[in-house]
Amino acid sequence: MNHTSHIIRFAVVLVAVIAGFFILRGFLVPDSFGVQGDYKYGYHRGASDAEQAALPALYTGSKKCAQCHAAETAEWQAGKHAGVECETCHGNWQAHNNNTKDKAGKDSSIEACLLCHGEVEARPADFPQIADMKKHVEDGGGAYEKGMLCVACHSAHSPQQ
Amino acid sequence: MVTSRRDFLKQAGWTVLGGGLMASFVELPASKAHASSGDRTHLYAYVVDTHKCIGCGKCGEACRAENKVPDEFYRTWIERYTIYADGHVDVDSPHGGEKGATPIKKAHIDRSFFVPKLCNHCKEPNCVQVCPVGATYVSRQGVVLVDEKHCVGCGYCIQACPYGARFINPKTHVADKCTWCYHRVLKGLKPACVTVCPVGARQFGKVNDPNDPVGKLIKEARLQVLKPEMGNQPMVFYNGLDKEVR
Repeated sequence: MNHTSHIIRFAVVLVAVIAGFFILRGFLVPDSFGVQGDYKYGYHRGASDAEQAALPALYTGSKKCAQCHAAETAEWQAGKHAGVECETCHGNWQAHNNNTKDKAGKDSSIEACLLCHGEVEARPADFPQIADMKKHVEDGGGAYEKGMLCVACHSAHSPQQ
Repeated sequence: MVTSRRDFLKQAGWTVLGGGLMASFVELPASKAHASSGDRTHLYAYVVDTHKCIGCGKCGEACRAENKVPDEFYRTWIERYTIYADGHVDVDSPHGGEKGATPIKKAHIDRSFFVPKLCNHCKEPNCVQVCPVGATYVSRQGVVLVDEKHCVGCGYCIQACPYGARFINPKTHVADKCTWCYHRVLKGLKPACVTVCPVGARQFGKVNDPNDPVGKLIKEARLQVLKPEMGNQPMVFYNGLDKEVR
């Protein structure tokens, strides 16, 4: 019995399937895909790394703020908020830079202060916390008025106590 | 049809040879790998001091802005643990702790504290091992990243993560998580959450740099990691972790 013709047909189909696989693979697999570094945790599209690194940074740190706001920076550095970055309360620099009229970062409400300084059981005991505004004002020797803001007595940039 | 032993061996030989040849073809594309990109190191570490955290939520707010995290999804969140005198443990994190903490007026509290959480950027990450398409990986600096163009959104990594750090982003429909602000740290900045933390409860730096405050902490402080029994070797370290923290 001669099987040569069967074998040739089968071989042609097999070669076509294998060739098709590699052609399709060439289109579907991204160029930089492969082992970057080690196989276990580095098997990925190499270009992804640089793409993610190129995203813009919105929060720039207080040095950037000091370039325009020297007086506020000096005041801030002299007080107890010196370790708190500008962007913690004012929001990110990029939003402010894109629209210099954006004053959204200025919030002198009681809520803005109490976000950090309201009394909460879970806060560290030595962290300054206010439970009762009236008591707090009177303990400090002031006269309490309804609707009084923290900034009536304290400088938000540079609280001394 | 009767096959003689000689023919059988002959055909078997060809089959094995052919199979081997095919296997060598299949191996070929994988070997175009950019193996020259160097070995992976775990350059960075993150230290959370639970004694310092005041639960203001500024970190979550900054993370959302910096990374355009969709509402009600969190790359980082702050849990509050409250342990009552009767042994009952309460854990809450309303809005991921982002809008600050509400006071608890109940009496008989033994202790209460905040625990900020985020992706642990493990040395042996489960999430990367289970990814069927190679869309999540460890960068050369040891940062666990997601390739959002390659991810198919199957969600295996979300199930695999012992820390619940991952979610499916409803806008991109693929896996999303903390990147330690990869785009910032490569520029020499700190992650957004670390930048805005008013009390220094979140710190980020280089592990092996003795001049780096974090490098010094890793060396000298008595730190713990979350779920060490999972064997993932997290690179986020905690100071003051309570036995009740999961």
